[in-house]
Amino acid sequence: MHSHVRSRFAWGPTVIVIPTVAAALISGRVGWFTDEELRLWSTLFVSISLQALPFLVLGVVISGAIAAFVSPDLVQRIVPKRQLFAVPAAGAAGLALPGCECGSVPIAGRLISHGTPPAAALTFLLAAPAINPVVLVSTAVAFPNDRMMVVARFAASFLVAIAIGTWWARRNDVQMFKRLTDHQHDDPRPRWRQFVDVASHDLVHAGGYLIVGALAAATLQLVVPRSAIDVIADNELLAVLLLALLAVLLSICSEADAFVAAGLPQFSLTSRLVFLVVGPVIDIKLIAMHAGVFGRRFALVFAPVTFITAIVLAVVIGQVML
Amino acid sequence: MGRAAMMCVVGAITLRLVITGEFGNFVQQHMQLPLTIAAVLLIFFGVVEVIGDLRDGRHDPESSRRAVAPTVGWLLGLPVLVLLSVAPAALGATAAERVDPIVPSEPASPEAFIEPIDSSDGPIQMPVYDFMSRALWDDGSDFSEVEVELEGLVVNSPEVDDGFLLTKFAVSCCAADGLPLQVMLHGLDSTYDNDQWVRVAVQWRPPDDGVVDTDDYVEADVIEIEVVDDPPDNPYETPF
Repeated sequence: MHSHVRSRFAWGPTVIVIPTVAAALISGRVGWFTDEELRLWSTLFVSISLQALPFLVLGVVISGAIAAFVSPDLVQRIVPKRQLFAVPAAGAAGLALPGCECGSVPIAGRLISHGTPPAAALTFLLAAPAINPVVLVSTAVAFPNDRMMVVARFAASFLVAIAIGTWWARRNDVQMFKRLTDHQHDDPRPRWRQFVDVASHDLVHAGGYLIVGALAAATLQLVVPRSAIDVIADNELLAVLLLALLAVLLSICSEADAFVAAGLPQFSLTSRLVFLVVGPVIDIKLIAMHAGVFGRRFALVFAPVTFITAIVLAVVIGQVML
Repeated sequence: MGRAAMMCVVGAITLRLVITGEFGNFVQQHMQLPLTIAAVLLIFFGVVEVIGDLRDGRHDPESSRRAVAPTVGWLLGLPVLVLLSVAPAALGATAAERVDPIVPSEPASPEAFIEPIDSSDGPIQMPVYDFMSRALWDDGSDFSEVEVELEGLVVNSPEVDDGFLLTKFAVSCCAADGLPLQVMLHGLDSTYDNDQWVRVAVQWRPPDDGVVDTDDYVEADVIEIEVVDDPPDNPYETPF
């Protein structure tokens, strides 16, 4: 899946952008814009991007290592064959295999095509990006005063993964994934090349979506009138719905979303928990990836069910724990 | 190749922010090591990609059809462009005017202020947060007698005509969640520009009615003021 991934980055933009940036790097600041609001916007934008960068890099190093050094057969041997046993096991596997959601979609696709029960693969798909150590550590760093946020995020996300996995196990719809046959062929290149290739691909891919999120968060802070945000933030129901919707629209990488949530201090902890639980399991870029890897029919069923399950469970856990 | 170049550029600018210390305008000081490692890895990946591509040359029939395309990845260059073209600074008056300032909440234990303070050997350096905390919540000692040295930036306000709001931002994660801590300074003859860093020696001015109210500004009388030309490496406080 990750083998031979090479971006469409071509020489066209490269020859224009790279020398410009390089020249600016060497000569120092250009400073075309002086407008104070724009400078504030850029401070917020760069802050969110910079804070998330080390976590993103750590995540892609691990996802690259798994793709290059852990065979799908090994993973498959560990996962039980019976769907109902496999679901919790796959959820727990999500704890040990860090990676962001963009990485776990191809992994789940690979697992299904290698004969893993779909319910287990889907549980893994939902659990891995939400409850892995990298995500939990970055959540703890982003919410230093609200330690319960980490626990609540873990609990709610794990429950969502188990609930959806169990639902799928009962559905037992094998037809859905018939198209998932193995198009894999072995990558002839040395392992370290595969490692760098996958890590770079995931970094540029997830990093791009992270920037989309940082752009939106910084802009939201400045453009939306504070009074409007306050009205929404003061109404718990509106806040939950807005942040759930925002999580879907922004499509932020799960390793970075905690920092965006921390940058929205006007909103209640529960509504921000909803943001953190919904984001890793369903968003615009994931719907696109699901349709691509599992098929359009799957994406149409999976997206709304996951969205609603995530909101409900996050609100319940938020009320209990935060 | 474009991907490799992108990673090198992002790595290079990150490294530059760390070396110049400018990263402190955006994130906390403890991010220095993680940022350095991330920057070095980015450059390393980029270099390995370039070497690998050069070694494969054009003989590799695979290379033409390797194309799962994160076009969105070009956006990674955007922070670099913003950093170079807009030259973002640390949070300042523009940010402070947009948000309500925060005040320290009451310490959980009364022992928080058990250490007596005495400025007979000169003013005591203190973070703005601690100064406000003492002013609001220290009932035991006569804090108004103590001379304190504070550092912060100037935010002018129509609410004060013989001074300004000495401002520092309290950050819990990165600058995007920074909230202003403000002390209203009195007793100044000259005016100062917004965002100018200053070091002041002050004494807390208790409220006229003697009742401390967290909805009002903490106020102070300036004994001495000194303009600071270079903003500190760490322009923020992390009291939480």
